[in-house]
Amino acid sequence: MTTGMVWTGIIIYIFIASFVAFLSKTGKQTNMEGYFLAGRKLGGFVSALSYSATTYSAFMLVGLAGLTYAGGVGALGFELIYLMGVSLVAFFGPRFWLAGKKYGYLTPSEMLGDRYNSKLVAVIAAVSSCIFLIPYSAVQLSGIGYLLSGMTNGEISYTTGMVIATVMAVVFTYIAGIRSVAWTDSLQALFMIVSSTLVVFFLVYRLGGIREFFLDIETKAPELLTVPGNGYFSIATFLGLTIPWFFFSLSNPQVSQRLYMPGSLKSMRTMLLGFMIFGLIYTIVAVMWGFSAVNKFPELANPDMATPVLLSSELVPPVLGVIVMVGIMAAAISTIDSILLTLSSLFARDVYGNIRPEISDRKQLAMGKLVIPVIAVLAFLFAKLELNLIAVLSVASSAGLLVTVPAIIGTFFWKRGTAPAVLASVIIGGLVVFFFELTQIKPLGLASGLWGISISTILFIVVSLFTKAPEEKAEEFIGYIQNEIKQIYKNR
Amino acid sequence: MHPYERKWALGIFLFILLAYVLPYTVLSDTAKWYGSFLVWILLTAVVIVFNVFFTRDWGEKK
Repeated sequence: MTTGMVWTGIIIYIFIASFVAFLSKTGKQTNMEGYFLAGRKLGGFVSALSYSATTYSAFMLVGLAGLTYAGGVGALGFELIYLMGVSLVAFFGPRFWLAGKKYGYLTPSEMLGDRYNSKLVAVIAAVSSCIFLIPYSAVQLSGIGYLLSGMTNGEISYTTGMVIATVMAVVFTYIAGIRSVAWTDSLQALFMIVSSTLVVFFLVYRLGGIREFFLDIETKAPELLTVPGNGYFSIATFLGLTIPWFFFSLSNPQVSQRLYMPGSLKSMRTMLLGFMIFGLIYTIVAVMWGFSAVNKFPELANPDMATPVLLSSELVPPVLGVIVMVGIMAAAISTIDSILLTLSSLFARDVYGNIRPEISDRKQLAMGKLVIPVIAVLAFLFAKLELNLIAVLSVASSAGLLVTVPAIIGTFFWKRGTAPAVLASVIIGGLVVFFFELTQIKPLGLASGLWGISISTILFIVVSLFTKAPEEKAEEFIGYIQNEIKQIYKNR
Repeated sequence: MHPYERKWALGIFLFILLAYVLPYTVLSDTAKWYGSFLVWILLTAVVIVFNVFFTRDWGEKK
């Protein structure tokens, strides 16, 4: 595979994706709901693919393959437990959707602010999302940097890859807001699932067939087929990885905001089931890549190089290698553009909109568009720090977002929950995670996310019991949701 | 939570619990493809099927 081929692949991708983004543009998106939620009319199929593309980023095929290389089958368990956790959408999806339609919520933070009757709650929830999601975007950017430089032996530098990704993410967000994001996401997801699965077939075939493939691992590195195996996936590490990710569908606003978008619950069902099937296939693919690298290249110094080394090896036909590599780049971009869009809606609606409530919807939208490139540049600068092991950093940011989960559960299920309790749980929980990540300490051997969720849950409950709940709002909100849910399951 | 939801929540929870327990206990010495590798995939497939049945009433109402 030559650098020329890689450049050609990138240029073709930019051309096709930009074309699709422009196609998605229908009329002018002049209001917040249209620009950020596609007018709450997104179809099931696009929702499913876009949800997949947003969730699965460069992390999957670079980080998860690397994690399999380093620790074995535990990587599969980690990712599949996350996927099973997406069942939370079956419970919370209809509730977000119903509340969004009735009260006009644009962001999850706006919902928290309204439900707990406190603008400060909305502001703090939005700000904490920004603090943790910008590093998460940075992780995606560095994924692209590693990949392009790894595959071209440094001829395309780490920074060049990141610049391309940052610019493309901003462009896709700008063209038509969520519509261009969802369409380019769908294109990318379809493309990726087909090409990456094809790579697995090539790898297995060229490594002697499926029997040989596993036999090789069973003899060369049997510890990689069990947990704790070589010790990488001790039960404490496994819990520390899986629990933050289990709640990902609720804690990460770029995906929970998706719950406001489907045109009907039927579309949401297509989104949920389509995503789960996509996720199962994609996870198996990423893990098989990792195992292939174990078979063929057992001596890599950096596990994150498993994918680039594999794709540029003679096991994968060069054209397919380039296609998949560009696909991984597109995967990272499709995650970043969704995050940019969500963060800009959080900033425009929950921060700016609450500081200057007299501002019109149109002006909020203008502010949202203004901050998109600012957030992109911040993510870029964070990525320039070149931190190691993509998966670990990525989990650190999801650990930070986890502290909003008790408040989100309380929104729908606990009338006693109060605004001071939300603030205490999000701020103190967030600071604890931040401190543990910064100092890399693990009290009792448990990861920051586990401490974050435990402390924020306790704070949410205890502070709620000692402060006054917004009784009228809670009664009205939860009563409405309960009635509607009863209607949905009236035949059960 | 609706009683119907509670029933499915329990079912899904049990299978997720198995996804933690089985690989770290009975399968921790089974270094084969049909060990944790297969079991995790099967457990996930079951949870997906649960979701299919659980959400079958979600309708077209806008």
